[in-house]
Amino acid sequence: MFPLPLETLFLFVVTTPFVGWLLTKKNRQNLCGAYTTFGLIISGIALYNLFSQVLDGNVVSDQQTSFAAGFRIDMLSVFMATIFIGLGLLVAVYSIKYMENDTGTMLYYTLLIAMISGMVGVAFAGDLFTLYVFWELMSISSYVLVAFRKAEWEPIEAGMKYLIMSAAGSATLFLGMSLLYGITGTLNFQSLASALATAGQNPWLSMSFLLILVGFGVKASIVPLHTWLPDAHSAAPTPISAMLSGVVIETGVYALARTFFSAFVSFQVQWSLVLAVLSIVTMTLGNITALLQKDIKRLLAYSSIAQVGYMLVGLAVGTQLGLTGTTLHILNHALMKGTAFLCAGAIIYRTGTRQLEDITGVGRKMPLTAIFFAISLFALTGMPPLNGFVSELTLFTSAVQASMAWLGLAIILNSILSAAYYLQIIRVLVKPAASSEKLEKLKETSFVMLIPICIMAILIILLGVYPDPVLDLARKAAQSLFTIGG
Amino acid sequence: MIPLSYYLVFTFTLFIIGFYCLATKRNMIRLILGIELMVNAANFSFIVFSSYWREGFVDPLAHSFVIVSTALVGSVTAVALTIVVYAYRHYGTLDVRELKRLRG
Repeated sequence: MFPLPLETLFLFVVTTPFVGWLLTKKNRQNLCGAYTTFGLIISGIALYNLFSQVLDGNVVSDQQTSFAAGFRIDMLSVFMATIFIGLGLLVAVYSIKYMENDTGTMLYYTLLIAMISGMVGVAFAGDLFTLYVFWELMSISSYVLVAFRKAEWEPIEAGMKYLIMSAAGSATLFLGMSLLYGITGTLNFQSLASALATAGQNPWLSMSFLLILVGFGVKASIVPLHTWLPDAHSAAPTPISAMLSGVVIETGVYALARTFFSAFVSFQVQWSLVLAVLSIVTMTLGNITALLQKDIKRLLAYSSIAQVGYMLVGLAVGTQLGLTGTTLHILNHALMKGTAFLCAGAIIYRTGTRQLEDITGVGRKMPLTAIFFAISLFALTGMPPLNGFVSELTLFTSAVQASMAWLGLAIILNSILSAAYYLQIIRVLVKPAASSEKLEKLKETSFVMLIPICIMAILIILLGVYPDPVLDLARKAAQSLFTIGG
Repeated sequence: MIPLSYYLVFTFTLFIIGFYCLATKRNMIRLILGIELMVNAANFSFIVFSSYWREGFVDPLAHSFVIVSTALVGSVTAVALTIVVYAYRHYGTLDVRELKRLRG
């Protein structure tokens, strides 16, 4: 028996190909996207029911013993699932227009909704094995989605690279899980937490930690395991890039948090230092490489690596405030990077190019897109009235409070560094172009594509000006990580 | 009864062989075989632990993990082979070194 939101998603995974096939017969391919959107809305409503059940710190669980696999839903799970379904919904609406010229759109929507159900399953999982199964569902659909435009060489090459690295990562993760199973005899998060609470230093536990860190680290694109990310994220269709950058790599961060704060609490002092170093390397390398990019999608992909570095800061600090920052930054990053990628996609859709120099002056022809793009980029730099500032400030404060001020300093220095390339995009967009015929004919983005962008841009401003309710929810979500053992 | 350490040595050797295969081989099919080896090492490790965890008791949960995991790695391989077929159509070779037009 699955939780209701997941069951709804599975129903739509199974029915979308048939409905899509029937619609294609009737020459109404566009309606397939509408059908997917409908499914995601229903699943969102089911999720809201669940939300009211876990709001007071309750846990919805179907596990009778520690020897069974199943689901365990707390506030953090629902928080993450809301982000996944929400961004998925907006991306589905956007895809209706963006993918209209592609063939096989019914398969595209099936894979999209399968990927979302995989992520929701990861968030709901009550033990490591359930997490692994849904993890693979998410991964397999994302491999195919990256290589979706199979007629070109770039998606195929990027998909191959992504698949090899990510599948090797999954195998490593599975070996790490087997060691954990060998030590404790269970993979249930709750039982792991109580069995390993006072484990201390044990070479097999450290080995298992290392393997699991590598396994999730490949998906979360922690440097030096990040090399697949810029290729895969720039080769995928743009709505999928938004999904991959906005939520899929954050699923890796979520899984790391969930596993570390249940199984490896006993030697937190040691691994927090490892994560701190990794986070600094990740954000610095991500930002510096992004500075060198001339392709707009690759630039945004590298900036995702840097943002994962910020999220790791919260895990490294390991206090409640730090995890609140991480959770909030996952939400904010989904909004910011989602908007940025969808705007970039709108520009690519109109101009047909990804090179920064070729889109000079596009902002003058597509003012609304450029404004929303600028809002998301300002938020990504961490500019005060927008949402990126709130979560970065929370992360900074938590680092300082935990007397790791050097970590906080790294965030600030990196934000300054990142401003260089975010502002460069804006400069390119508004710079008057040398007159060319191509630019003269450009039109504003179509209405269907603007709706999701507009909604997210409004949310960016709203959550920046009035962050209290979301901050409160993120605090409750972070709290549920600590109460798993008790 | 054979001591647990022998099995663990076997598991890690298998895993390292798989990883070595991934790191050094150029043929894409061999890379996929390397991944299979790595997953099978983990599967083997689950089977071993399932009977060593308690004397005279075999944990059926670990066995069901392995069965599900076998199905999962089958799907991954299917997708991987599909991509290899398309890569072969684009590049005309199975040599993974030819796939270097993108730089990570």
